[in-house]
Amino acid sequence: MLKMMRKAVLALGIALAAQGALAAEVVKVGMSGQYFPFTFVKKDVLQGFEVDIWNEIGKRNDYQVEFVTSNFSGLFGLLESGRIDTISNQITITDERKAKYLFSNPYVVDGAQVVTRKGSDIKGIEDLAGKTVAVNLGSNYEQLLRAYDKDNKINIKTYDTGIEQELMLGRIDAFVMDRVSSMALIKEHNLPFVHAGAAFETIENAWPLLNNEKGKRLQTEINKALAAMKADGALKAISEKWFDGDITSH
Amino acid sequence: MNFDLSYFIELIPLLLRYLGITMQMALLGLVFALLLAVVMAVVRVFRVPLLDWLVQLYISFFRGTPLLVQLFLLYYGLPQMFPPLVGIDAFTAAVIGLSLHFSAYMAESIRAAIIGIDRSQMEAALSIGQSPLMAMRRIILPQAARIALPSLMNQFVDMIKSTSLAFTLGVAELMARAQMEASSSFKFFESFLAVALIYWVVVVLFTRLQLRLETKLNRAYQR
Repeated sequence: MLKMMRKAVLALGIALAAQGALAAEVVKVGMSGQYFPFTFVKKDVLQGFEVDIWNEIGKRNDYQVEFVTSNFSGLFGLLESGRIDTISNQITITDERKAKYLFSNPYVVDGAQVVTRKGSDIKGIEDLAGKTVAVNLGSNYEQLLRAYDKDNKINIKTYDTGIEQELMLGRIDAFVMDRVSSMALIKEHNLPFVHAGAAFETIENAWPLLNNEKGKRLQTEINKALAAMKADGALKAISEKWFDGDITSH
Repeated sequence: MNFDLSYFIELIPLLLRYLGITMQMALLGLVFALLLAVVMAVVRVFRVPLLDWLVQLYISFFRGTPLLVQLFLLYYGLPQMFPPLVGIDAFTAAVIGLSLHFSAYMAESIRAAIIGIDRSQMEAALSIGQSPLMAMRRIILPQAARIALPSLMNQFVDMIKSTSLAFTLGVAELMARAQMEASSSFKFFESFLAVALIYWVVVVLFTRLQLRLETKLNRAYQR
């Protein structure tokens, strides 16, 4: 019996040592691949701000980063069932989510922005009563809008995908998106959209992790890499590659 | 109207790379769905005690709930109850979901075809000493296949198109790629038209296969 146990311990030791020496840890990062310029596919190549940041984290922490693309509405299910380790899709830190998941430190500081067509009479969130306003399914903008819209005057519609197209076609009067990406969107594609008023809520985006051993360890490791990237300017450089300015700090 | 023809033409070969995964899901789904469906149809025709009741419940559930709901239940729901099921990857889950869903429809098509075969066929087979199951396999099912073929093809075509739901599970198939390309280029019309054409051509090819199969199965009936 003792001999067997000794053998088992030895085998385990060898296995652990081999693992340590061999492969980098696989970290699976979920994203929609449909959120320009954070995560998108062009000519069959997945790319964007999120992809660049994760490749950098992977390099620093010796992770083998695997990107998993799924419709946004499926991402939290993938995380919840442990099929991915985190979501990198501009996930906003909210109290509900914090109760359930661990969050890394924020890597993007942003605001919720009402976007409408040029020439629209909507000049800010206060003009949305009686209008049809779209938000992405599974995003937290719906809750933000409902919190503001106490007497239910805004007709809020949720979409899985394609709210930009709906605004272009005029099926909706406005949509709510984060300020930074809507700015990039309008600029890149020369869309006939404008920002209605200032951003109405500051939001901080981070990576949610499962609240378990691995999640806790990843949280510490990722935060360390993130702090280093902030300190040496790598994070800022990635931000400036995709946006006009630095979206990663206040 | 400004249709970007060169974008459209460039996109098609990009999308075609993902046709393989779509067809793999559909064909694997077809094989498993057919196997399940034949068994269920026979169980129902023979009114096997208890099993018949279970099959009816199965068909009722899988026809009575949307495929998307079934896929979500299977892939996101069940692992919460039974953690080992997390090991099932998205592709496998999609194939299982498609098989279960379409087998319910196919079972009814096959059952209808079996009922459509004249009773005398079964009686004749039994009278020369074949067992009911043997008669089913050797006499009834080959004849029923000919009758069931058009409606089975209907369901297979539906299955090919339903693979587009697999993206919500994270399978990077044809529709997923079209959606992702569209969301970065904003050329929605071109992207979705390209993907529509690809599905359409595939379905047309299978329809031609169906015609050839029908001719073959009809040979015995032609005078």
